Amino acid sequence: MKIKIALMFAAALAVAGCHNSMNSVQNAQQVGQRTMISDSRVVSDTGLTRKVGVVGINTAMTPGGFLKVQVELLNQTRSLQTFNYRFEWFDANGMQINAPAGGAVAAEIDGGESKFINAVAPTPASKDFRLKLILGQ
Amino acid sequence: MKNKIIVPLIAAGAVFITSCGTNAHYVETGGNRNIVSVGEINIQDYIQAANTMTGELLASGALDRVKSPPAILAISRIVNNTGKQIDTDLLIKKIRVALLQSGKAVTTTTFGLGGQAEDPLAKGMQQTTRPADFSLSGKIIQLNAKAGDTTQATYSFQLSLTDTQGLATWEGEKEITKIGTRGTVGF
Repeated sequence: MKIKIALMFAAALAVAGCHNSMNSVQNAQQVGQRTMISDSRVVSDTGLTRKVGVVGINTAMTPGGFLKVQVELLNQTRSLQTFNYRFEWFDANGMQINAPAGGAVAAEIDGGESKFINAVAPTPASKDFRLKLILGQ
Repeated sequence: MKNKIIVPLIAAGAVFITSCGTNAHYVETGGNRNIVSVGEINIQDYIQAANTMTGELLASGALDRVKSPPAILAISRIVNNTGKQIDTDLLIKKIRVALLQSGKAVTTTTFGLGGQAEDPLAKGMQQTTRPADFSLSGKIIQLNAKAGDTTQATYSFQLSLTDTQGLATWEGEKEITKIGTRGTVGF
């Protein structure tokens, strides 16, 4: 009996202390309409693809004429995942625009969590983008 | 006979290891293989803070509200409230370059804090004077926390864009938190 109680206690501790997954709720009637992009411009390493997936990409223009990108990610595992991401920008001719402050950004996502990452283009000439996702260490 | 072959081979191996075994190599600035240290601001932190705040500033449209674009920006005081001596241009220059590239703002180098020109020669050459539309000021703050051997440091990068009426028309803050055990560096 004592062993059984101890085992149950240990299991409860494990569940409470090590569970990293996240639940979230949102309003059913979404007011804002997202302009979703059909094609995928996301480059991800295979290790991360199995764990963190891209749910959707939407874009908008800022008042100043800059392209703004929002990417929704979903952690398909039950544990915390760390990753780095980087946006690359291209002009109308497909030439890459060199952003002076365009390094990789470290981020983390809880188990089961849906998360948005976003970026604003460095110049109004940026017409296209590419997102690189790399599994964290 | 056997020793005559093995000994030179070992010696050659030792020479190879000591001369060519150096671990120094180039990495991409701001990339995933850069060193991460808890006790100081790394280059990727400056890049990330500059990137985030430039994006927010451009998206806000604050720079578009001037009579004759592009907006003229004057750089004010950037206070360093971290435990280390830092050159705030590691943050501000990246923002200046990004804003110039965006076409939305140019920075004056002939008008600065306390009447000091960043470029005194340019001030002497200046023939026309257009007053600045905005002043950019800010602060970098470090907040430390410790639990046992684990140390956490949060660096808060704060910027304010003030117009000629003395109103902060845009403000941005980017916080970067790093955690690690004492004396360790990560990648």
